[in-house]
Amino acid sequence: MLKYVEALFQHINGWGLPVLLLIVGCIEFLFGLYNRKADRNEFILDLLSFAIPKILFRPILAYFSLQLLPVLLPGLQGSLSWVPFFWGAVIIAVADDLTQYWNHRLHHQVPVLWRFHRTHHSAPYMGVAVYFRNNLIHVLLFSQVYLVVTLVYLGLGYPALFVAGMKSIIVAAAHSSIPWDKPFYRIKWLHPVAWVMERFISTPATHHAHHAVTSDDGVGYYKGNFGNMFFIWDIIFGTGLITRKYPSAYGISHYERDEWYAQFLWPVLKSRVRDSELSANGPVVRMDDEE
Amino acid sequence: MKIEKDVAKKLVRDGVISLFLYALPVALMFLWFYIKGERPWKEQKQATELTVNK
Repeated sequence: MLKYVEALFQHINGWGLPVLLLIVGCIEFLFGLYNRKADRNEFILDLLSFAIPKILFRPILAYFSLQLLPVLLPGLQGSLSWVPFFWGAVIIAVADDLTQYWNHRLHHQVPVLWRFHRTHHSAPYMGVAVYFRNNLIHVLLFSQVYLVVTLVYLGLGYPALFVAGMKSIIVAAAHSSIPWDKPFYRIKWLHPVAWVMERFISTPATHHAHHAVTSDDGVGYYKGNFGNMFFIWDIIFGTGLITRKYPSAYGISHYERDEWYAQFLWPVLKSRVRDSELSANGPVVRMDDEE
Repeated sequence: MKIEKDVAKKLVRDGVISLFLYALPVALMFLWFYIKGERPWKEQKQATELTVNK
């Protein structure tokens, strides 16, 4: 048993992480942590979001790093390999996560980008499945993975592997419906740790707040909390709300279960749901039902 | 649907701050090398030249 656990963590950046998250997803499902709101449509969407990018990204990233980068950055392959591991990890952690913060924030604050990110927010539940749930075009076009691959090409391979593993675990844990952060708020001597932790990294409480249906109850805050691995960006830019409570409902207030294919492949395929943001003549951004 | 003026202003302001944040770890790394008197990029270059000349 211990042998398998060891192998899982040795291959965390390969097959290890998907297997680990699949196990966590099964635990969440078995304990009914998906709020019984995940129907067949949501299940197909979550499953495709998990599997398809893994198949498509390999040849795309191989082409990007082996064909495109040598042309775009000739003679620079490995030119930063002298950077010590620690500093390489810090540089990559900041470059990767700050870029993703911006990617995320712009998809919320620039109306024309919202529909690419909407699929990630339409889930009326939380769990590791939501971590993967994304529109395919959004994943392929707007990923900061290309920046990380460029840094690997320049010679920061080992630090990149380390940061990718850490980041995946933190971000997946923030999406999980297992409230692992609750003991930090309940047990008094852990309060100083909680204070630092909730300002530094995304926790289930702060990230669940970002996926809440409303921003008006003092708990939910979909208008902010854009940080992925680090929450510190939200603190610096004033876009964060630190909460230790969990929202009562998740998703989008006007969500009427758009078809999985439209959510996964918009704008190539459109939704048949009337007035949906993903329908052919739908609004770019539909105002909340409660507003 | 257009982006709100106030939001656009904040995006520009925070974008400028971000440039400093991106540069910060690189600046700290070189400060560290300066304090320690290390020049790892030169060491690598010398090692590469030695390998080529062998």
